[in-house]
Amino acid sequence: MRAAALFGLGLAAASTVSSAAEPQITADPPSALIVTVYRAPYRNTGSIDLNYLNGFALVSETRTVRLPAGESRLRFEGVADGIESVSAIVTGLPAGVIEKNRDARLLSPSALLDATVGKAVQLMRTNRKTGKTERLSGTLLSDAQGGVVFQGEQGIEALRCSGLPETFSFEPVAGLSAHPTLSVVVRSPVAMTRQVTLSYLSRGFDWAADYSAVLSADAKSIDLGAWVTLANSNGTGFPSAHTQVVAGRVSHNGDFVPIEMGRPILARCWPRGSTSDQPMLVSLSDEAEYERTHRMFKKSVARDAAPMMSLAAAPAAQVQQEQLGDLKLYRVPERTTLASRQSKQVRLMDRSGIPVTAIYGVDFAADNATFTGPAHRWLRTKNSAANHLGLPLPSGTVAVFVDHEGGRLLQHESGIRDTAVDEEVEIDQGESADVQVSKTDEGTGIDSAHAKLLPLVPGVALRSVKVDDIRRVEVSNARAGEIDFELRLRLPEGARIVRADHPLEAENGRPIFRFKVPANQTVAVRFQTQRIDDGILRTR
Amino acid sequence: MVNSQYYPGNYGRLEVGMRVRLLCIAWMAWFLVQPASAADRALSVTIYNDNLALVQDLRDIEVKGGRQRIEFQDVSAQIRPETVSLSAADISIVEQNFDFDLLTPAKLMEKAVGQEVTIVRVNPATGAETREQAQVLATNGGVVLKIGQRIEVLRDDGLPVRVIFNKVPDNLRAKPTLSVSVNGSRAGTRRATLSYLTPGLGWKADYVALYNETDSKIDVQGWVTLTNSSGTTYDNAQTLLVAGSPSQLDGAGQTIGYRPPVRRQTLQQPGTESGSRERLGDFYLYPLAERTTIANQQTKQVSFLDVHDVPAEHGYEFRNRWLGTAETPLSAQSIYSFSTSAHAGLGDQLPAGTLRFYMKDKRGDPQFIGENRIDHTPMGSTLSLATGDAFDVKVHAVVEKRTRISTFDWQTDMRYELTNALPRAVVVKLRQEGLWGDSSIKAESQKSTRRSAEVAEWPVTVPANGKATVTATFETRY
Repeated sequence: MRAAALFGLGLAAASTVSSAAEPQITADPPSALIVTVYRAPYRNTGSIDLNYLNGFALVSETRTVRLPAGESRLRFEGVADGIESVSAIVTGLPAGVIEKNRDARLLSPSALLDATVGKAVQLMRTNRKTGKTERLSGTLLSDAQGGVVFQGEQGIEALRCSGLPETFSFEPVAGLSAHPTLSVVVRSPVAMTRQVTLSYLSRGFDWAADYSAVLSADAKSIDLGAWVTLANSNGTGFPSAHTQVVAGRVSHNGDFVPIEMGRPILARCWPRGSTSDQPMLVSLSDEAEYERTHRMFKKSVARDAAPMMSLAAAPAAQVQQEQLGDLKLYRVPERTTLASRQSKQVRLMDRSGIPVTAIYGVDFAADNATFTGPAHRWLRTKNSAANHLGLPLPSGTVAVFVDHEGGRLLQHESGIRDTAVDEEVEIDQGESADVQVSKTDEGTGIDSAHAKLLPLVPGVALRSVKVDDIRRVEVSNARAGEIDFELRLRLPEGARIVRADHPLEAENGRPIFRFKVPANQTVAVRFQTQRIDDGILRTR
Repeated sequence: MVNSQYYPGNYGRLEVGMRVRLLCIAWMAWFLVQPASAADRALSVTIYNDNLALVQDLRDIEVKGGRQRIEFQDVSAQIRPETVSLSAADISIVEQNFDFDLLTPAKLMEKAVGQEVTIVRVNPATGAETREQAQVLATNGGVVLKIGQRIEVLRDDGLPVRVIFNKVPDNLRAKPTLSVSVNGSRAGTRRATLSYLTPGLGWKADYVALYNETDSKIDVQGWVTLTNSSGTTYDNAQTLLVAGSPSQLDGAGQTIGYRPPVRRQTLQQPGTESGSRERLGDFYLYPLAERTTIANQQTKQVSFLDVHDVPAEHGYEFRNRWLGTAETPLSAQSIYSFSTSAHAGLGDQLPAGTLRFYMKDKRGDPQFIGENRIDHTPMGSTLSLATGDAFDVKVHAVVEKRTRISTFDWQTDMRYELTNALPRAVVVKLRQEGLWGDSSIKAESQKSTRRSAEVAEWPVTVPANGKATVTATFETRY
């Protein structure tokens, strides 16, 4: 048995692989790269979260391969670590791709140990005094649960329990690579050199549009500019890549097998309590280790983040938009390097003189609860060519700025959804303390004279009565100018407004009052709602 | 004595006695252990969809005659020991053991309690080694040794001390190990078949569909994807994939493999065609053409389908829940449908998996446009898959009015505004769902079809860069 194992290892050292008979060919590094970034599928508005990039990307790599005649295993090294290997497509190979593989194990100390269990290994022990290193040949018996047991000529020992400096010297191990690797087994009739394309989906990407709107002094128009902010949280970079982003929600669940990065070797020993009362040894738990590396990563991403509100309209090359099925594709005009753990911004658009209407309003239920609070403020426009827009607006965030004494002030930041051409655009501007709204319950009338009784069982009936509620809403304006106001109401099921002292309109199936509030004045709106109220009544 | 057998305490003692006897047998058997040769084994692996595989392992065993224990290395680390069966000529099985007590330094020391070990003290000043024999007394919190007539705590002073053990206790293993004790009636080498079930191996299908917009056709490639997280590599295995999910019981006696309800129906029309694929009962079989090595932690894909120019249809669908009303328009879903029939479709039954759609961009590079899951699909079916939202086709559904007609009757006026920012006309299948109970349509701006009592559907044509409106009045009774 021993002889056979050693023979196997000898073979492994010679051909770097023990299990597969076919020769291993490594594809050249990518000569051309295409990266298309998709947004997090379930984010409707808002920007990306650099700490957790929920989107994904389609990566296409063109590589040169030199195939021998016959069967060979072709290795693609350095694919993104977030690769969803089941999505990998290889094109350009001669007819027979026999199989595709991704090994989720990387070369790490624990992987080395794992692969050496039951096999020959050398134990190296250095004498601290003389500096002499002793090499003992033997077998690795176990690495179970982090503890390592070694069998040498003298007997069985545990690693790092003696307090002496000791370690292992391993035989070469096949099948472990430094970088995430995808391999295909391919059969070629003759030796040939080919250009092949490897495409795959990968996690750890995201993008969003970041708009900045500058409101004119008269608040009648905005200049709208936007960046495409895209980011890559993979450990793999994509140098000089054709880069695209795709807008629109695509259905994607992701099918990701995490890569085993190697657990730390803890060299667990037998109980090592002593007679002196020493505190418990705190070992660095896996969780703490994960947390530490994770936080480091977070920091490095955050440092790379580009400033979001680049206001100066320095001329920038803009992305080019094209239709992709039912989606919108934006092409970065030049090749660009999307480095590992980097976010990048490319200009999406710049439009000026877009007419907007500022609207104040509230949206509440027309119930008897008392309400007092500030009104909301919106900027409203239509995404049309007449308004100097008329282009698809991908979702993201809008920051609204106003000019102030030569500088700019941020007014409000809010989300924007995917907006098609000719749709309404509403930019939320937060609350305005100058416009206050209060709702008052003025009274309720019950028409008991015309109550309807529906006998249910003897002695019990359903009593239906008409109920009239009168409410008053007051809007006060402390601003120096007249404002447009919208009062949107939610009515209870089946209720309707029967009387009001302002013209009533309907929008989205709900009542709405539109009126103006002059400067430094208060306007009151009174309305009466009617509904039918049911109750159980004992009739005897 | 006979009566006392009914007492649980005595019963337990009986158990202990039996266990001791079994241990003795095991200890005796240690000297007769015969590792089953793994060198010239022939593996065949049958993999089911639901994380389950049947492994058949043919290897040569050397039978000595009489009682002997055979250890099987390189079996799945997640083996279900209760499903193991071994068969070979002229042997009878005494017992099967699955040892999962793992060999660690702490276990090694624990099992050495009461036994002699060699300790080697290393002088930190000179490097000189001193050897002594010691008896391990206890390992509770720290290791207590008896050296000669003195008692010491191991490495209490922090100075280096090596501990050398003479042997590894019997049932400590680097990995969980399966062993079978057999009675051989005839000595000699013979072929044995070991078969067992194991989780950790599974497969599904992955499809790549390239949609050609100009002639509305798709090219579809199908791959079976094997995943192995069983902790073991299966070398050079003959592999058979079974499309289907045999029901499994877990320890508590309940079926595992809960399938969440499907939200949108992908299978529009179940097929009734039979293919040439091999079947096993109601399962389809997908044998891999060549032997393959399924490495641990590996994802492996093998092609099984490659069809070109299959007609496909692209459309839009919007589903509104009952009383669904929105402040802003919502995107319609982008739908691709095609057939799996032999004459105008893929011409195969499809094992369950994920279908990813691609489309070429203006520069000719394929781009991903969305994916969806399909279930096991018979040949001749019509499939309709939602790939995501359409950016330019939106529907704004609004409850215009809810009127109470009588105590239990309500009238609901709905308005649906459909917008299309594309430079071509589109047809949207507008569906109002949730019409359960006695719901009827009193008035509508265009004729609907009632797909079921639950759903009314209007096929709405929306002109290029234009709008369309549908209104409907529903009456519902409880």
